[in-house]
Amino acid sequence: MNKNYNKIENTSYAVESNLSFSLKVDRFFSKPVYRKSLDTITIIFFALVIIGPIINIFSTIFLNIPSIYSGVFADDLIGDLKWINILSSLGVSFSVAAIAVVIDIILAFPTSIILTRYNFRGKKILDAMVDLPMAVPTSALGFSILLFWGIFGVNPGMPLIVLGHVVFTFPYIVRNMKIVLEKADTLYEDAARTLGAPGITVFRTITLPMMKEGLIAGSILAFTRSLGETGATIILSGLVETAPILIVGFRRQLDLPSASLLAGILIAISILLLFSIKFFTRRGNFPVKRVLPKLERFLSHKYFRHLRDAITAFFLVVIILVPSFFIVWELTEGNFINELFLSQDYKWAYLYVSFMSSIQIGALAVVVNLIFGIPFAFIITKRKWGRIITFLDTMLDVPIAIPSAALGFAIFLFWGPAGLGLFQPGFFMILFVHVTFSFPYMVRPIIGVLESSNVGVEEAARTLGASNLTVFRRITLPSIKQGIIAGCIMVFTRSLGETGATIVVMGSVRTIPVLIVDWVEANTYPSAIFASTIVIIFSAFLIFALRAVRRKGGK
Amino acid sequence: MPTIELVDVTKTFDEGKVLAVDNITLKINDGDYVFLLGPTGCGKTTTLRMIAGLEAPTRGKVLIDGKNVEGIPPEDRDMGFIFQHFEIFDHLTVWENVTFGLEMRGYEDDYIIEKAEKALNTVGLLDYADEYPSVFGNPGLQKLGIARAIATGAKILIMDEPLGSLDPKVSKVFRHELRNLIKDLGLTAIHVTHNQEEAMAIADQIIIMRAGRILQMGSPYDLYESPNSIFVANFLGETNFLQGFVLKLLEDAKMEMWIRLGGPKIICNNLNLQFNLDDNIIIAFRFEDVYLFPKGYDFENSTYDWAGVQLFEAKLEASRFVGSTKRFYLSLDNGDKFLSIKSGSYEENFSPGDDLIIGIHIDDIHVFKAPSDLLYETSLS
Repeated sequence: MNKNYNKIENTSYAVESNLSFSLKVDRFFSKPVYRKSLDTITIIFFALVIIGPIINIFSTIFLNIPSIYSGVFADDLIGDLKWINILSSLGVSFSVAAIAVVIDIILAFPTSIILTRYNFRGKKILDAMVDLPMAVPTSALGFSILLFWGIFGVNPGMPLIVLGHVVFTFPYIVRNMKIVLEKADTLYEDAARTLGAPGITVFRTITLPMMKEGLIAGSILAFTRSLGETGATIILSGLVETAPILIVGFRRQLDLPSASLLAGILIAISILLLFSIKFFTRRGNFPVKRVLPKLERFLSHKYFRHLRDAITAFFLVVIILVPSFFIVWELTEGNFINELFLSQDYKWAYLYVSFMSSIQIGALAVVVNLIFGIPFAFIITKRKWGRIITFLDTMLDVPIAIPSAALGFAIFLFWGPAGLGLFQPGFFMILFVHVTFSFPYMVRPIIGVLESSNVGVEEAARTLGASNLTVFRRITLPSIKQGIIAGCIMVFTRSLGETGATIVVMGSVRTIPVLIVDWVEANTYPSAIFASTIVIIFSAFLIFALRAVRRKGGK
Repeated sequence: MPTIELVDVTKTFDEGKVLAVDNITLKINDGDYVFLLGPTGCGKTTTLRMIAGLEAPTRGKVLIDGKNVEGIPPEDRDMGFIFQHFEIFDHLTVWENVTFGLEMRGYEDDYIIEKAEKALNTVGLLDYADEYPSVFGNPGLQKLGIARAIATGAKILIMDEPLGSLDPKVSKVFRHELRNLIKDLGLTAIHVTHNQEEAMAIADQIIIMRAGRILQMGSPYDLYESPNSIFVANFLGETNFLQGFVLKLLEDAKMEMWIRLGGPKIICNNLNLQFNLDDNIIIAFRFEDVYLFPKGYDFENSTYDWAGVQLFEAKLEASRFVGSTKRFYLSLDNGDKFLSIKSGSYEENFSPGDDLIIGIHIDDIHVFKAPSDLLYETSLS
């Protein structure tokens, strides 16, 4: 070090009038009163827009007990037939979700291990392909699956619904397992192996317990997604009715009492499920003690591992990958040009307008969720409000857990003519719905990066004289940028693919997934194939962008 | 001129469940280089953060230049803060890191450039101005952290384990540079560490903290030579502790004590006449203050002044050569063990099992009341 450093002379400190304009603005708005105002506005937004409609549906049901009773349980003509319908639809929904999740888990174990522990050519592409069904609008996916299994003569009905649900819930489970496996150090597995444990024993006693959290988190997501799915199910269900489909049906017939009862039941069950899973399942443990060591040693033989990999690859290709993208192959048939562009009913114009509506709604949902999502994520991570934070944090997952058709109907009741009367079904109501169900997708990634971001550098900036807002703008924001971008892409993707809630509140406006459902129902397959292909390509682009962002963020 | 005062400051966390700082009062004078020294979790970092404004005291006042700074946020306190983990802005270049604080103060561009260049030059990083901090290892990051903190011209420098992330050899060289820099700039500096050697080497004043309280403050010499508690005696330097009781009170504020279970009798100081007959006491003496003589050494004909030197017998259990020093493991008849440390070139021909004569000067023996609680057990082990 240079010892001839002159003493820094004592200059007047922080001459506020000399500060640049943006720093002055930062200093002004860093006053506690503005922070408190922003907190308040954010909480009000959360209470009103995200949670309000959900709570409201219960009061609506309560206030309308007589009409619900006469409409659902004691109709003059059909008696309690509707109630029986409702019960059977719930049964279908839950069994589909359960079967789909079980199949997912069986297939996800080897898949996630292959994708993390093996190295082979094309691994990244396979990884992206497995992720893709998460981003593609389910109605396009469902249509592709319908066309694929149609070749083998599988008609719409229960089996096809299950096949469809397996495809779009699979990525949620694989992704969560993969994240855990990537984080888990292989040294533990190596250590177990040096102690003489054969492959399967290592997996059961060392790897599996580490995967538990990921497995649970993934299963919850997959189950709730399956329970709430509408777009693909409409296409694949034939005469079978799942609960969300029934809500859409009731709404189309303007049978509001039945719809609100079913929506209420679905919402209540989903919330209960969410809480019970959150609080109870984590206690369970996998068996660590010796279970048939000889058998495990025998099954750990290389031969069985290759067999497992082959079987996994086969099912991955036949059940997930080919059905998802089969539609692109169908496009080569080529007769969409006639139907879409040359016919008299201007289908291409509908396609264009719907596509634009989808993009506008997606973009606006991103903007609104950005404005409120960032402050909300800050409240969850930085404020020390104790139980209030725990409560807000739990409530944040509610929009993900409840079926979107039920959520859409709740929002229709809250903002629409039957409730506050502020909006009619149409563009803005769709926007409200999309803002509500995609809010957690914005907030969660931001909470993730905020929790792992370093508070120390923020403190360092403050000791150097930066006001709260300057710290946010110059120090925090650059470090959480990746999380914010990931959140934006997630919100946009979910908004682009949503069907169930949109159908309930859309009025005369169409988004792309709904248009695909319309066209499939109207049997104009070539146009539907073209529209599906477009959104699949578009979604593929989005998922690659998301992966690029995640990679840059080192996740 | 910057002075820092804490008056009856208490800080609790988790709604009072965790007591981090327990009613401390201290004053740091202008231009002093003060160390807050204590084991992990003693409240020293919390104290530092309260001075910087990163935490608000639960009770009590922080005064800077005699002014109460309650409610003044950290950005308006005009202090440099050097963090344990550097907390460098890694998305900004070295230059942008150093100019950050200057820009926040609204200085003219020319002035900012001049000051930032000076600060970077001081730590020898001027050549790296346009690089990103990721090119540095820990020493480089630490230098950048120092440049960033001093560039603003703040007269108070606060450091939280500034040398803790450096490897021991680098840290030993770097601490002297740090002290020179602080003295050259005429800063009032507070330095938190749990490394006593570091504090002893470069501090003007040391404040020893434990469990949220200040045990003792003073110059390194004072603390080393007259520790006021078993903890301080144990914490600074390498110290033997032996247990015993007061056998006889003597004149001139002295007393005869008997090391437990039939150990030797020793005369030690009874300063302020604080001990009485039969009191249980602990005596402490540094490893290096224990002198060794072969049995049958002729003290009468030695030229040394033996007044005040306490002599007793002990058995040599083992000796170890550790490079610059030699360590001798000794035991008394009652089984109590203690150590002596000599320079590596110390010449002797003792072998394990030998009976030796031990000499300790009366002024090197510190006497403490034997605590009855567990604290005593842990501090001796």
